[in-house]
Amino acid sequence: MERNADILIIDDDRDLVSSMRTVLESKSYQVRIAGDGKIGYARIQEKTPDLIILDVMMTTDTEGFDLAYKLRNQVAYQDIPILMVTSFPKHMAEQGPEKFQHIMGESWPVTQFLEKPIDPEELLTAVANLLAEVD
Amino acid sequence: MQLGYELIKNQFFFRKELIERVGWFIRLRWLFVCAGFMGSITGHLVWRPFPLGCFLNIFLFIAVYNLLFYLFYAWLNASRPKEERFYVFFANCQIGFDLLALGLMIHFTGGIHSPFLFFILLHVIISGILLPPPSCFVYGLLMLTALGTTILLQHSGLLASQPVLFHSMPTVHAPEMPQTLFLFVIDVALVLVTAALTTSIKISLRTKGRELLSVSKDLEANNKKLNALYEMVKEMGMRTGLQELMDAATRHGARIMGVKACAVKLLDDQRKKLRFTSTYGLSGDYIAKKAVDIDKSVINRRIIEGQVYAVGRLQEQDQFQYPEDMQKEGIASMACLPLRVDKMIFGVFCVYSDVADAFAESDIRFFTLMSDLTALAIENLRSELNKTWFLQKTAHQLRSPLNAVHSMLRTMRKGYLGGIDPRQEESLIRCEKRIEALGILIGDLLGLGIRRTGIDPKQFHPVKVGQLVERLLPMYRAQADEKGIKIEYAIQEPLPAVMGDDALFDDLFSNLISNAVKYTPKGGLIDIVVRTEGTGRVRWEIQDTGIGIPEEEMPHLFSEFFRGQNAKAITEDGTGLGLVIVKEILDQLNGTIQVNSTMGKGTCMTLRFPIA
Repeated sequence: MERNADILIIDDDRDLVSSMRTVLESKSYQVRIAGDGKIGYARIQEKTPDLIILDVMMTTDTEGFDLAYKLRNQVAYQDIPILMVTSFPKHMAEQGPEKFQHIMGESWPVTQFLEKPIDPEELLTAVANLLAEVD
Repeated sequence: MQLGYELIKNQFFFRKELIERVGWFIRLRWLFVCAGFMGSITGHLVWRPFPLGCFLNIFLFIAVYNLLFYLFYAWLNASRPKEERFYVFFANCQIGFDLLALGLMIHFTGGIHSPFLFFILLHVIISGILLPPPSCFVYGLLMLTALGTTILLQHSGLLASQPVLFHSMPTVHAPEMPQTLFLFVIDVALVLVTAALTTSIKISLRTKGRELLSVSKDLEANNKKLNALYEMVKEMGMRTGLQELMDAATRHGARIMGVKACAVKLLDDQRKKLRFTSTYGLSGDYIAKKAVDIDKSVINRRIIEGQVYAVGRLQEQDQFQYPEDMQKEGIASMACLPLRVDKMIFGVFCVYSDVADAFAESDIRFFTLMSDLTALAIENLRSELNKTWFLQKTAHQLRSPLNAVHSMLRTMRKGYLGGIDPRQEESLIRCEKRIEALGILIGDLLGLGIRRTGIDPKQFHPVKVGQLVERLLPMYRAQADEKGIKIEYAIQEPLPAVMGDDALFDDLFSNLISNAVKYTPKGGLIDIVVRTEGTGRVRWEIQDTGIGIPEEEMPHLFSEFFRGQNAKAITEDGTGLGLVIVKEILDQLNGTIQVNSTMGKGTCMTLRFPIA
């Protein structure tokens, strides 16, 4: 399953998406893309992906989080691993749960963070690990 | 508020006086009796005709009834509660008996010619002060009647006249009518005038006391309100989130105004609709109603135009969009004010009461002050948040394309887009390096922006600074070794922990150490000393043998994007934000920094933190 896993990238930066796509497709993953949370949600409804790579700030500053929470609250989608890509410095991302919890008021919805700029090896490792966990 | 206020508070000014004086009179009377006995004996010794027996009898009579008073007073004091009517009765008894004793004394010392006659005035004054107004007239007239009756009886021979005391000739002379009558009339006039004067002074004092009481009450109420308002402003000032700030405003607002509910409604961006942003004491149903359309609500439009709106009886008004909801909510009266800063109105501040006519003019004035302060607090925080948001947004927008380029370069360099030769790879590495440098600048900006929103001090925990230095130093060793710079450090143990956050300390020390390495020429020395200072502080010193900071540039050291001339000359790298970040972090950690520098010799940065 791992080789042909279906990965949905939801990010509004086309160049970044194309880089990630190149890297992921080099390992024969099936990659679908969406430019914002709304389209992303529609793609998920069309077909449930094995993994979602999600940006934080898109149309709104918290669109990524909003979508992540929405998915976590639905039985059908709550188990999809989410890899969140962010421009926050690493330590900010790590202390995220506490920092953002008061805004969100719920538990942290993201499975793992990956800091931008994307390093191909890091991306592949993270994706492989997340997919392996699901298996 | 002790200053007489407690006395006046329950209109006890005169009552308390009465209660105190009742005991005081008893003690005074003992003195009087003693002095009387001694005076009588002395009088008898120096002036034989002195009626000693008569005087001793009178003083004995006084002593006996004073003893009874003393016992009664002790009983009265022991009884709880102290009922005022007992004291009034007691005072009347005392004055009555005293006047009887005085009457006898006057009679036996020559009646209308007696030197003790003036003591009547004393009693008139005392009863006038301590007892209700008519008392002094009653006692005065009683004494005058007694005196008049005695004169008449003596004149008609029914009562024996007494010798006049201290008269050159101790003769007994029957009253001669014209003179006696004249003296009597003078006495009457004197007593009545004294009674009238005492009464009028007392009434005026009592009125002033009441006025003072009312003023004091108002002052106390205002004082309480102002204190509460101060607490409110203080709490609003401490809030870092807009919602929390407004929640504090409505919660305090309702409490200070003593009403059931309070709400802040803000205008939307189009200034067309007012929405509840924060409420206190209103039901979920009431808040859940739709936003108020300004064009449809005359009242809200007026408030937004700057008017104060207060309704004493809501049921008599038909200008509301949702009158039935207000009734259901139990709102009987309300007051709404515009939230404004200068001329800009951005919302409405309302208080709701469940009683009709709850807001007097003074309440509205106070509410205006409260709403102006709230508006100012909201606007201040909003502009602060806007600035931070703008900075964050800018940094993010700058960083996005950079990240995309960087990601694409890496993808290309690592061969995901096809093979590359070594020269191409070298170029790509250099591209990445330049982009990384730009990324650091933007990272600093982003970090600064985020930091300015503040990390909640509640998340602070004890941090071991010594361990931190040991952990961070290796990261800079390589860079230092390259330049042949020696780094020495001494940590004086045991070192107490300081309150903070690991990430903040990381940023703080990384900035300072990297600065020291960057601006110290080859072969230099960086000396780090961490130790306890005094009882409550940890001191962190970084001394380098670097280029130093020109004295004239010292004031700008912590300004955004500032870089010293000599610093620019030594390296192009540097964002001019490092020390700004240091200062921001220190502010959050309650730390201080002291910079000592000599051009060409080096700089010493001394940081101090309160211990956990």
